[in-house]
Amino acid sequence: MMLIIESLKLALTSIKMNKLRSFLTMLGMIIGISSVISIVSIGDTMRGVISKEYESFGKNRISIYIYNSDEGYSDVFSFEEIEKIQEAFPDDINYIGPSTGISGEIINKNQKNKCNINGLSPNYQNIQNFKIIYGRNLSENDINAGKKYVLLQNTSSSKLFGTEDGTGKIITVESNGTIEEYLVVGIYENTQSTFQKLFAGNSDTHTLYAPARAFSSEDSAFFNIDLNINDTTDKELFKSRVASLIGRMKNVEPQHVRVYAASDEMSTIDDMMSKLSLAVGAIAAISLIVGGIGIMNIMLVSVTERTREIGIRKALGARTSDILLQFLIESAIISAAGGIIGTILGAGTILLGGLLINIPVVIKPTVILTAVSFSALVGIFFGLYPAKKAASKDPIAALRYE
Amino acid sequence: MKDIIKINDLYKTYKNGNIEVKALRGINLTIKEGEFVAIMGQSGSGKSTLMNIIGCLDKPTSGNYELDGKTVVGLSEEMLSYTRNQKIGFVFQAFNLIPRNSALKNVELPMVYAKKPAEYRKERATKLLETVGLGERIDHLPNELSGGQKQRVAIARALANEPPIILADEPTGNLDTAASVEIMELFTKLNKEGRTVIIVTHEDDIAEFTNRIIRFRDGQIIYDGQVDHS
Ligand SMILES: Nc1ncnc2c1ncn2[C@@H]1O[C@H](COP(=O)(O)OP(=O)(O)OP(=O)(O)O)[C@@H](O)[C@H]1O
Ligand SMILES: [Mg+2]
Repeated sequence: MMLIIESLKLALTSIKMNKLRSFLTMLGMIIGISSVISIVSIGDTMRGVISKEYESFGKNRISIYIYNSDEGYSDVFSFEEIEKIQEAFPDDINYIGPSTGISGEIINKNQKNKCNINGLSPNYQNIQNFKIIYGRNLSENDINAGKKYVLLQNTSSSKLFGTEDGTGKIITVESNGTIEEYLVVGIYENTQSTFQKLFAGNSDTHTLYAPARAFSSEDSAFFNIDLNINDTTDKELFKSRVASLIGRMKNVEPQHVRVYAASDEMSTIDDMMSKLSLAVGAIAAISLIVGGIGIMNIMLVSVTERTREIGIRKALGARTSDILLQFLIESAIISAAGGIIGTILGAGTILLGGLLINIPVVIKPTVILTAVSFSALVGIFFGLYPAKKAASKDPIAALRYE
Repeated sequence: MKDIIKINDLYKTYKNGNIEVKALRGINLTIKEGEFVAIMGQSGSGKSTLMNIIGCLDKPTSGNYELDGKTVVGLSEEMLSYTRNQKIGFVFQAFNLIPRNSALKNVELPMVYAKKPAEYRKERATKLLETVGLGERIDHLPNELSGGQKQRVAIARALANEPPIILADEPTGNLDTAASVEIMELFTKLNKEGRTVIIVTHEDDIAEFTNRIIRFRDGQIIYDGQVDHS
């Protein structure tokens, strides 16, 4: 143990004695590790952002539509059919409703503002948790009765009415040539993530929510069903069961009933990410090997230069293993120092980049730990041959070396 | 006094391809604890070869060698390192200090391999450097010291683990007369304190400092006698 500490001190002094050379030796390692850290962190950051997106969309959310791609044929659902599906899976379904909405323009004084009104069905709280800051949520009664009530976003309210609290105001919406009036019953807060905001840009389209039945009648038909299932429900099983039920109901082949879950997309992205990680791993391996060879090269030079020193040490009682350890530690330290500098450089770049585009970056401590310990390992691996060469020197010949 | 070095019928043959060099040819030699010995002889007569074998840096081709009552022939590499560390203090013609290390660090080195704690090492190394008259120079690097000073650092280093034997192969070979005399006076003092000192030299006035002279020729001892100091 004491010899390890001594070897550490020794390694540090010899690195200090040859600052420029040590730095150049580390360069391969620095570049390798910093690029690995940045690429891995970019991957992790993207993954974090995307999975957050999906979480906000809802990991238990399922979308259903009917489409026969061979014949280009699709089918629609009625409220009645949607209710039947609900009744078939009372324990599994949290929320079910047609995916519906209207887009049009809000007529406000003399201005027209684009808007989308999304339709909500009973139990919508299970999929969309509005943070109501003024007024109230849409009640079960409002939903069932198809009241012409809307929830408005606080920012929209400010734009339209000059006040965040727009409850009680009337909104006039023109859509497909018809004009309807809606009463603002609640104001919800914008809870978009920074990432969402980044991609939503400065859209002037207002997003409102109203009961689905507010703009559809009992005999309306819908292409898409929005559905949310319980956490405990087996997703794959549910998907096939619901597909066969709808197949029977609508008299179509179950494979033409498209049941799509957000988690499917997530696993595709996971798959893509792991492939990316593999590619990064390959780049990392190559750069580490190149860095390692650089270290081996310099260590060989150093061993030759210090032949006499090795002879002296042996004459004074250093064992073969002491010399081996000394040179191994030296190459491990050069390598790990390169790794640490590379990590700082890589992480710094990513943090700075994240700060600039305002994304919360993900730099996993495990990645840093792995990178630094791996670089030390590379140093040990590529230092092994030079160190063995040093340790096996004959003391007399080494002492005579000029 | 006990025999500290006992050599019987020792041979050393170097083989370089087809060429054989018989560096030592049947050496018999006993050195008692506390002796002060000079080994002399022409260049190539085998003096350094013998010193290296005594110092456990080299192995004989045949014959027996006992150091401090223990047979050295056949010891493992690890035991040989241990023996060098504990029993032998080397002083070389070329000083052989580690250039990157201060005088103090150089003197500490044998104690590092003896696994002595840092405070002890520093204290002892400082004391040793004071004994050889370099108390003011402990933080100097070797290239900031004169030849005589370097050799005194080397002697301090040789004493670090209190070995019973000091081996010095031409310790004054690179020094002028004044420095040589200083170094020889230092060896005399160490010998008076009870250490066995063996030096190799070409110069008669250097050998005069010792008590026993052994002469070599072609790998054999041709003379072995006490020095008359009267
Ligand atoms: N490693 C070696 N390989 C081959 N021959 C060697 C080797 N070392 C020494 N010799 C030979 O052994 C013989 C004795 O060498 P040694 O170094 O012991 O002489 P020496 O008495 O110390 O000479 P000097 O006074 O010049 O130092 C010489 O002929 C030398 O050439
Ligand atoms: Mg010699």
